[in-house]
Amino acid sequence: MNDYNMMNNIMSNFFNPEDLYPQAQMHEMKNEMPMKKDEIGTPKEGYTLGNLFVNTYIPYKNYMPQKLVAHNEQEALFLQMSEVAFAAHELNLYLDLHPTDQAKLKMFNQFRKKANELRTQYENQYGPISINANVLDNSPFLWEELPFPWKGGIQ
Amino acid sequence: MWKYEKRLQYPVNIKNKDIRLAKILVTQYGGSNGELAAALRYLNQRYTMPDNRGKALLTDIGTEELAHIEIISAMIYQLLKGATPAEIKAAGLDPHYAEHKNALYPTDANGVPFTVTYFATTGDPLADLSEDMAAEQKARAVYENLIDLTTDPDVLGPLLWLRQREVVHFNRFKELYDAYKKELK
Repeated sequence: MNDYNMMNNIMSNFFNPEDLYPQAQMHEMKNEMPMKKDEIGTPKEGYTLGNLFVNTYIPYKNYMPQKLVAHNEQEALFLQMSEVAFAAHELNLYLDLHPTDQAKLKMFNQFRKKANELRTQYENQYGPISINANVLDNSPFLWEELPFPWKGGIQ
Repeated sequence: MWKYEKRLQYPVNIKNKDIRLAKILVTQYGGSNGELAAALRYLNQRYTMPDNRGKALLTDIGTEELAHIEIISAMIYQLLKGATPAEIKAAGLDPHYAEHKNALYPTDANGVPFTVTYFATTGDPLADLSEDMAAEQKARAVYENLIDLTTDPDVLGPLLWLRQREVVHFNRFKELYDAYKKELK
């Protein structure tokens, strides 16, 4: 199985169309060549693969990427925030080298704004991720009170 | 300056203690091709990049590597959590225990402490970016070696993800290398 077929196999096993983020110009799961190297997946696809530029994904042997599963609302929101923040970061690295690419800049800003919204929503409900979080108005000092991320779990 | 975000870039949730795995995984923290070497390499080289493309890319990838140190560290911490001295001795990690107990310390898989001689800064952007491309390939290869040595899905998930980041970073460095090669006379 070549890399491209492997990738499509992964896509069809892992992702549902309803997971797509409609605001962005999305990678379509077609068996069509040629592939554009800068084609962008959904935040969920990109985060699962560790590569938002899905046509440059290189699998190792026959390993499939881990499917992250949220067990409750908190984990679901955390995961969505991680996915969108990752998508923004991937476009950040791309734009460092292509600062005049208007289409990618637009996508970056969509993801950046969405990631900020999701982080604020998460922080208001579950506690601070950033030291700038408004939820830090509350006592006691939640930055210190809440668990550190190496504890385990999706949080 | 930097600001910490109190989250991992990719979640780590290892349920089974595995001291032998922690012993070898540490190389991606403090080994020659590990994440600490990567972060310091890029964050040192960025100052003398010839334009803002290089300064921006090395800053942003160097920053991401700091987040990867935290992912690997979380994995080692969880793999060693609750390990008793007897278990540590049986797994051959007693020299580490003597110096560090269950704490983290950046070494390679043989216990050799981290050293800055693992990376270079030449001031020549093509030489530095060639090293960066090689570093990403070597780190990818080491992730594959580690993947070969475990069957724990909780460990394979983050390792496969981190391996793919090496692929992405290599592509970005190569893009910049090719651009500079063409433009710089």
